[in-house]
Amino acid sequence: MTTNVTSNQKNNLAIRVSTPKIVKTILRATNYIILIIIAFLIILPLLWAFSASFTPLEKTFEYAYPFSWKAFFPVNFTTEAYVNIFERGFGRAMLNTLGLGIATVIIGGFICTWAGFAFARFNFPGKKLLFSIVLITFTIPSDLTVIPRYIMIMNWGWINSWQALLVPLLANSLIIFMSSQFFREFPQEIIDSARVDGASWLQVYFLIVLPISKPLLISLGLLLFLGQWNSYFWPLLVAPDPAYRVVQLAVTQSVQEYQTIWNELLAGSMLAAIIPILLLLPFQRYFVNAVVGGVKE
Amino acid sequence: MKIRSQTLVPYVFLFPAIVLLIIFNIIPAFATIKQSLYAASPIRGSGLVYVGFRNISRIFADPVFWKSVSVTLYFGLIVNPLQTILALGLALIANQRASGIGFFRSIYLIPVAVSVNVAVVVWGLMVDPNAGLINGILIRIGLPTQPFLTSPGQALMTIIMIISWIGVPYWSLFFIAALQGIPTSSLEAAVVDGANQWQLLTRIIIPLIRPIILFVLIADTIINFTLFVPIQLLTQGGPQLSTNLVMYETYRRGFIYGDLGSSSVMLGAMFVVILIIIGLQSLILRSNR
Repeated sequence: MTTNVTSNQKNNLAIRVSTPKIVKTILRATNYIILIIIAFLIILPLLWAFSASFTPLEKTFEYAYPFSWKAFFPVNFTTEAYVNIFERGFGRAMLNTLGLGIATVIIGGFICTWAGFAFARFNFPGKKLLFSIVLITFTIPSDLTVIPRYIMIMNWGWINSWQALLVPLLANSLIIFMSSQFFREFPQEIIDSARVDGASWLQVYFLIVLPISKPLLISLGLLLFLGQWNSYFWPLLVAPDPAYRVVQLAVTQSVQEYQTIWNELLAGSMLAAIIPILLLLPFQRYFVNAVVGGVKE
Repeated sequence: MKIRSQTLVPYVFLFPAIVLLIIFNIIPAFATIKQSLYAASPIRGSGLVYVGFRNISRIFADPVFWKSVSVTLYFGLIVNPLQTILALGLALIANQRASGIGFFRSIYLIPVAVSVNVAVVVWGLMVDPNAGLINGILIRIGLPTQPFLTSPGQALMTIIMIISWIGVPYWSLFFIAALQGIPTSSLEAAVVDGANQWQLLTRIIIPLIRPIILFVLIADTIINFTLFVPIQLLTQGGPQLSTNLVMYETYRRGFIYGDLGSSSVMLGAMFVVILIIIGLQSLILRSNR
């Protein structure tokens, strides 16, 4: 039996060793060709949309149908689509969303990390009940409860207001989870010694815990900002007024109002997409940790 | 050791988050269920009247509802296994050790950053039957052009393709994390024992990450069950109700026909379905441990 396995091993090793170099090179090249094809398929819509957004309206589809490689390069380069959408207030929408995003990150960041800190660092009556509230909201898709939420906002007279766009997005159960996990691994001795030295809990939170929570803060900042920047249906319901227009609405509103200005539609799409892509790429490790780590439990 | 606190400190820290979650998530959840038992009163100004289960029987008598249920079932049976398998495949490819793999992984991640409606806008133009890039490519390689979203036979499949552009890379993040958690020693041992790549995948890797596969399949099911924005922007449930998923049907009833009662009944029912799915998930995961 043992000799059998060993001879098997030897055979196997022999085969692997004797694989000719040329075969290895071909395998390797095939592997890279597969990687490149997949990358191309994934990026193809954005490549075309990007180049078409820099194309005059009458030529938006010229190289797409029938297809030519020129579809991926803005051969008739013009910024007319971008100039036009900015004239119609796209910049305003971007600023609106940027402001909302920053407010969501700062206020929501405090609210969620406070909750996470309390769950991780204290024992208190009702802890289980309160944590189950977080758990339940995590599992209910928020789309299912959108009608009562909308009616509530309407009754409060919040339709077309900043608070309607901001307040419902502040408490995020995924981020509360994530923070409580992060704070649980925090060395207790540091907190204890600060408490012994007479620091208040608020001081512990602001002066000791927050400064060394950079990975957590980047993760939650990304999630909260992207959540606000990419939200579409909720703003459509509660803030349709142009004064409160957010970027995702500014993209699709031009579908309805300007049915045929395709290059502007694509220019808006590219502006709406580029900010999250640029944020995500350098911080992808934090994003992945946030998305994957939070739900592993 | 945690501190047993006699003070109000933890409650103060928790207060804003819990209050917001209760107001914007818990109360609306109960309101959905309550709303499903009421209808707008025929007497003007007297608000809602209790109708009990009459809303529900009215919906059950409606063939449009049953059509949307069957479309949703069909959609779910295709999209969820498909996205899970493709995501696993993408993760296996993105997780290999090759120089420059980080670059490819970044590109594969890009759709995750793009909002659903931007994806839908761009893809919607790409699948345009008369000007879109996809048909443009089909013409070039000598294949017949396709109607895509304009045909009852293809619309749902086209929607599945579009949402998978984001869904597959998103779920592959979970698989990449799971694959990185597999100890290399167990893989090496299998290779030494003479396992080929396929055996490695089916006998070692898949059994080891089975809980994550289940998690992704179920989380994906829940998310796709409430799919709405692509339908609203691309097809409005058509052509011939072929993409009229239940979530869009609730929107149509509630916001287009103003029948919030029957819309809420459907939302309440969807709620129950999701709770059942979550219950099954925890049962399966528990029996797996």
